[in-house]
Amino acid sequence: MTNFLVETSWFIPIYGLIGAVLTLPWSMGIVRRTGPRPAAYFNLLMSLAAFLHGSIAFQSIWGKPAQQLTLNWLQVADLKLTLAVEISPVSLGALEVVTVISLLTQIYALGYMEKDWSLARFYGLMGFFEAALGGITISDSLLLSYGLLEGLTLSTYLLVGFWYAQPLVVTAARDAFLTKRVGDIMLLMGVVALSSYGEGLDFSDLESWAETAPVAPLTATLLGLALIAGPTGKCAQFPLNLWLDEAMEGPNPAGIMRNSIVVSAGAYVLVKLQPVFTLSPIASDALIVIGTVTAIGASWMAIAQIDIKRTLSHSTSVYLGLVFIAVGLGQVDIAFILLCTHAIAKALLFMSIGSIILNTSNQNITEMGGLWAKMPATTSAFVVGSAGLIGLLPLGMFWTLQRWLNGSWHIPWWLMLILLFVNLLSAINLTRVFRLVFLGSTQPKTRRAPEAPWAMAFPMVTLTVLTLLAPIVPIRWPFWLSLAAPLSEPDSAWLPFAIPLMMASGLLGCVIGFTLPLNRSWARSSRVYIRFFQDLFAYDFYIAKIYDLTVVWAVSSLSHLTAWIDRYIVDGAVNLVGFATFFSGNTLKYNISGQSQFYVLTILLGVAVLLWLTFSGQWSFILNYWSSVLSQVSNLA
Amino acid sequence: MLSAFILLPVLGAILISLVPNTNPNQNRPRIIALLFGGVILLWNVILGFQFDPSQTAMQFTEYIPWISWLGFNYHLGLDGLSLPLLFLNSFLTLIAIYSSNVNIQRPRFYYALILLLSTGVAGAFLAQDLLLFFLFYELEIIPLYFLIAIWGGGRRTYAAMKFLIYTALSGILVLAAFLGLVWFSGASTFDYEPLREQVIPLGIQLWLLAALLVGLLIKIPIFPFHTWLPDAHVEASTPVSVLLAGVLLKLGTYGLLRFGVGLFFEAWITLAPWLATLAAISALYGAFAAIAQQDMKKVVAYSSIAHMAYVLLAASASTPLALTAAMFQMISHGLISALLFLLVGVVYKKTGTRDVNVLRGLLNPEKGLPIIGSLMILGVMASAGIPGMVGFIAEFLVFRAAFPIFPLQTLVCLVGTGLTAVYFLLMINKVFFGRLTESLSQLPQVDWGDRIPAIILALFIVILGLQPSWMVRWSETDATALVVSPSLLSQVAQAPDQALSLGDELSMNVLPSRSGNN
Amino acid sequence: MVNTPTKSLAQHPLIDYIERLERGEALLQDSPQNVMEVVGILKSYGVVLDAYSRNLIYTSQHQFLVLFPFFKYFNGDVSPSRLLKHWWHDRINFEYAEYCMKAMFWHGGGPLDEYLDTPEFRQRAKEALKARWRGNPFMLTLNKIFPEFLPEQVRVMAYYSALGQFWRVMSDIFIELSDRYDQGEIQHIPDVVQHILNGLVADANRPITYQVEIRGQTYPIIPPEVGLTFLMDTAVPYVEAVFFRGTPFPGTISYNAQAYQIPGDQASFTYGALYADPLPVGGSGIPPTLLMQDMRHYLPDYLHKIYQATPRQEDDLLVQICATFQKSMFCVTTAAITGLAPHPLNTTDPAEKAANREYLVNWMNRFITSRVESINR
Repeated sequence: MTNFLVETSWFIPIYGLIGAVLTLPWSMGIVRRTGPRPAAYFNLLMSLAAFLHGSIAFQSIWGKPAQQLTLNWLQVADLKLTLAVEISPVSLGALEVVTVISLLTQIYALGYMEKDWSLARFYGLMGFFEAALGGITISDSLLLSYGLLEGLTLSTYLLVGFWYAQPLVVTAARDAFLTKRVGDIMLLMGVVALSSYGEGLDFSDLESWAETAPVAPLTATLLGLALIAGPTGKCAQFPLNLWLDEAMEGPNPAGIMRNSIVVSAGAYVLVKLQPVFTLSPIASDALIVIGTVTAIGASWMAIAQIDIKRTLSHSTSVYLGLVFIAVGLGQVDIAFILLCTHAIAKALLFMSIGSIILNTSNQNITEMGGLWAKMPATTSAFVVGSAGLIGLLPLGMFWTLQRWLNGSWHIPWWLMLILLFVNLLSAINLTRVFRLVFLGSTQPKTRRAPEAPWAMAFPMVTLTVLTLLAPIVPIRWPFWLSLAAPLSEPDSAWLPFAIPLMMASGLLGCVIGFTLPLNRSWARSSRVYIRFFQDLFAYDFYIAKIYDLTVVWAVSSLSHLTAWIDRYIVDGAVNLVGFATFFSGNTLKYNISGQSQFYVLTILLGVAVLLWLTFSGQWSFILNYWSSVLSQVSNLA
Repeated sequence: MLSAFILLPVLGAILISLVPNTNPNQNRPRIIALLFGGVILLWNVILGFQFDPSQTAMQFTEYIPWISWLGFNYHLGLDGLSLPLLFLNSFLTLIAIYSSNVNIQRPRFYYALILLLSTGVAGAFLAQDLLLFFLFYELEIIPLYFLIAIWGGGRRTYAAMKFLIYTALSGILVLAAFLGLVWFSGASTFDYEPLREQVIPLGIQLWLLAALLVGLLIKIPIFPFHTWLPDAHVEASTPVSVLLAGVLLKLGTYGLLRFGVGLFFEAWITLAPWLATLAAISALYGAFAAIAQQDMKKVVAYSSIAHMAYVLLAASASTPLALTAAMFQMISHGLISALLFLLVGVVYKKTGTRDVNVLRGLLNPEKGLPIIGSLMILGVMASAGIPGMVGFIAEFLVFRAAFPIFPLQTLVCLVGTGLTAVYFLLMINKVFFGRLTESLSQLPQVDWGDRIPAIILALFIVILGLQPSWMVRWSETDATALVVSPSLLSQVAQAPDQALSLGDELSMNVLPSRSGNN
Repeated sequence: MVNTPTKSLAQHPLIDYIERLERGEALLQDSPQNVMEVVGILKSYGVVLDAYSRNLIYTSQHQFLVLFPFFKYFNGDVSPSRLLKHWWHDRINFEYAEYCMKAMFWHGGGPLDEYLDTPEFRQRAKEALKARWRGNPFMLTLNKIFPEFLPEQVRVMAYYSALGQFWRVMSDIFIELSDRYDQGEIQHIPDVVQHILNGLVADANRPITYQVEIRGQTYPIIPPEVGLTFLMDTAVPYVEAVFFRGTPFPGTISYNAQAYQIPGDQASFTYGALYADPLPVGGSGIPPTLLMQDMRHYLPDYLHKIYQATPRQEDDLLVQICATFQKSMFCVTTAAITGLAPHPLNTTDPAEKAANREYLVNWMNRFITSRVESINR
């Protein structure tokens, strides 16, 4: 029985798809007399089935070698496209994370979205999300992964655009789709290029090809850069990071999944592509640079946010930046562990703030306060989630960093500085949010804030427990997936002090966060430089403005220019020809004078000229000329 | 019996014009047209089942000597290149008839013209004789001119005249190329297969191919010969737009493959880099122009130009994979464009405008057009190349096939694909997202008759996207056969010492792909 | 003595409505169509409110501080067929009742809100909590660590009960209105307003109390001594919270803090029933859709016929119901305004008239951005 379940693990993502399809009668408006909740229940059932199926399969594959299942999708001429699925402990483990968070989120959404009548459409999209994410975790084919990543882009657009009548949502959904599309198109360029090398597009094939590939350095660099562009967009890394901020316009449960597992899907594909882009050191360096810039920049942006969702979404970019650095350095295991612990902690944090948003109809942290006494589940969720993200208390992130800095990896000094900085600022950010939202006295909008109903509290508490148990992953990670061998002893003198330093930075961050003077009113500081920095960080380094002035302006001008050329020059030429014809025809009409003498004269003259040409030998001259031209042309071959 | 595709519609047209339409409510012309359209589609399906994809020769051939001293005979044949296009024609004709306005003016003339259009197109796809192809190529201009000029929008006279002049010019150039081919090769017949084996010096080939190209590029359309398309599309009524975008543009690309690659292979290879560059320019041009448009139909029209450029890109690469991809992109574009034009048509019918600055919030489930909007999002995503739908796999095959040969142009076309998402998303955002305004709150009901053709097309798009092998297997063998032209082989036989250099020059396109066995 | 109106008064954009109210007319124009619509929708609203109020009171009595109230919408009657109907969502959307309750709770205001912050209430709540969680060390320790958690839940229960009692009265008023209309007694909008006003006045001093039974013993949470009455302590806060202020709909308003679309001051919210645009109803993120869906099941035939005569017939039923509902809510508001006026609105005494004017201007200032003009188009 368990063998059967393992072998049919490829079906697990399809549960989500079935759930999504089952919502159609309600989302299409065919069933109107009764309400949409059955669609939600179907999806929950499917998620539960996926979770159970996945758990049993995961348990039985533990310790066994990986299996691969291939589906021949399309064969044209000399091109063979296959969709391959890999069933291994790592892939099924990732699938587990996806199904667990997805199941908990869907139960949570029962409570959060209970007043929303388009529940069916929401659950359909969540089912689709789950299917695409599950598919990415077990996919062993670059083509399939690319397809599913694009599916994620589409469903992100539809989920962020769920409340489509809201004006900010319209621009947010558009930006989310287009930003990710830029990354996806570049990834497609890479996929097309890789495919034309003829090795096939399965990750395992690509790995063996990369070891012996005769690829020129420039090509390898371009290929590498193209391949990392897709995950850069998906994981909201600079310069494609703005969409995650705007995507927070969507409903909170979607935000839960987006900030935890959707961004992780992009990084997951990145890790699988790692053998290919390590062909070019420039690509790996680019990864490290992107990750660093994002980690530092987004940390600053996070502490300037006043919207509770955005304080956390920028922090997602930060940690994905760390993942990028890890992958760039070839430290794949750390990347996986980081993804796992971050996803669980971040999902928990988003659940807790969702409960706050629902109860206070508000997302502005300067208008909140004093919630700790009224909402135990929410408060403890936030505390545990924060602890899971800051490397201070012995929860997920602490053990992840411990594993990273335990001496088996080569840690450059700048990485240490980045880690310390990220830890510090993350601690500041989370502490400041905690202070503003939970501590202090109650404000008018948080005066009456009961705890969330059971549908939201139950998944929150469960995930709190899971976050507390999550350190098992970094502590007992049994694999070694990186290409470089582990170091037998630490290669830097300061490495033994790394963990104490980390804890110190976390502690310092908390202290700063607790002692920072907090501004609860809407008045801003009168000092110009503070306002300048506040604005700089709050408005995301004005990246949106920069986009507007560069890319958007360029595309917009080019398009207007093209339309103008089309209308006036190309079409103008055509109309000119038409006009000329018309005009010349019109002038010819003046030739019809109506006087027969004029006609007779014209005929006589014409005939005379013809006769002269024929009999004076001019005609043969013309004939000879053209025949010689023709013979020359025919001799060209 | 391939003549059925030519005779049945004519029969239907005659019947429609003879049967009295005294009671407009009975709508006899429409019923007759639907019947004939259905029968033709059924016949097409039956032929499809009898078709053998593994054969490279023409199947179901019919040969009737006509004007033998000229070498002009009635020769029809079907192979993997024309079968999918023929099916597209029958299918979209039926859809166009179904989605025509039930209360249209002068219905008998209208439905007769649509059936005659179907004849012309089918004949062009089936013709195995060059002059016969030209005959049908010219024949389809007439019904289309009338369809645009009588039942079109505000500027229909201008648009119809422009279309007529452009396409007539295209026909003349095609005819000139055909005549030149027969004259210079000294052949005695206009029959297709024998002409493939004729040997003509490369210089003359280049001139002839250039003439043919300009003629066909007007039809496809490719920049800078494209300006008839936006006007024709905007002014034509919805069913006519569907047919125009779905089927008629394919005449041009079909001609490119059948006659350009098939008859003038060496010249084709020589001109291929220029063609690829032209395709890239056209793709970008169409995309940028589409971004600036305010009329929904114009947006879709310019996107048509951009997506047909991909067919040209694949055709210029001319490997078996590339030609199959070109076929596939033709079908994919036909289905997706038809869907988009249908949906824009419904929006126009219900709201009375196509201006993206006026329309807003049409996804409103109670007062708006929610299902049309959702289908539009699906169509738009299919056009942008989102996986799971036929647009992606068609474009992927095109790029994959063209990349080893013309990497730079392929990358430019990929940028064009990215831009597709930009302009379509801008359109969707403005028209369907947002809040429904008071001025748009009194829209009439949308009934299932408006939705069903779109839903069927959407189903096809998704199914073919998930299972593309059902589409590809028809064309693969014939695409391969097309590439290895008989004239090339005979040239090699005649001049063995030139064979090496010739072979080197052409090896990358003729022999199996150098990129290995996968 | 002539009382010349002040400059602001004469230029008030809603001066017509002020004069209308003084003449005894309503904010909604009087026409046979309007009467049919308003009475019809109030009939179905009355039926729905009846169900809501019974459920709210049931919850406050029998689901007191239940952690996993899976069956709270069943009113105690759990059977397999009812369970199936519940899962198929073939039921009243009690979630909307809870949404109204939460809105009232969150906005607060009025003596009920003040009472819930007093030490007396804390004491009574403490006793009830002790009885509820007797023998449950986990919840008692949780109560010690998070001292406001359980009392806040008791406050919520108090509001459940208060709103349930309020809607009990309103439901009876509306059902009676419909019965009188069927008998032909109601023929004009002012009659409708008068009926509602009479009902409000009749029950104005009905006491609002709340006690809960735990393990056989009764624990008063809002005893009669507190002196809460129907009109001033539930009706007025309800009108304020649900008709005027409301909560921002995620479907049309952005919660983004940096966009500052939602005012920081709750008193300046304008998201209530009198301000909302009916067009987005039926879409995502609009909670009143649940109420409209409930009302569609109980529409009287004459109202249904009116809806079927529109171009879209039944396709846009929810939007049509919402538009009619808004009209009826303006009638109810008219009754409330008339009832709360310092002096009878049709008085002839100049001093009283001036006082009334001022009172009306204050109300009308709040209506400037409302949909009072749209409903009369």
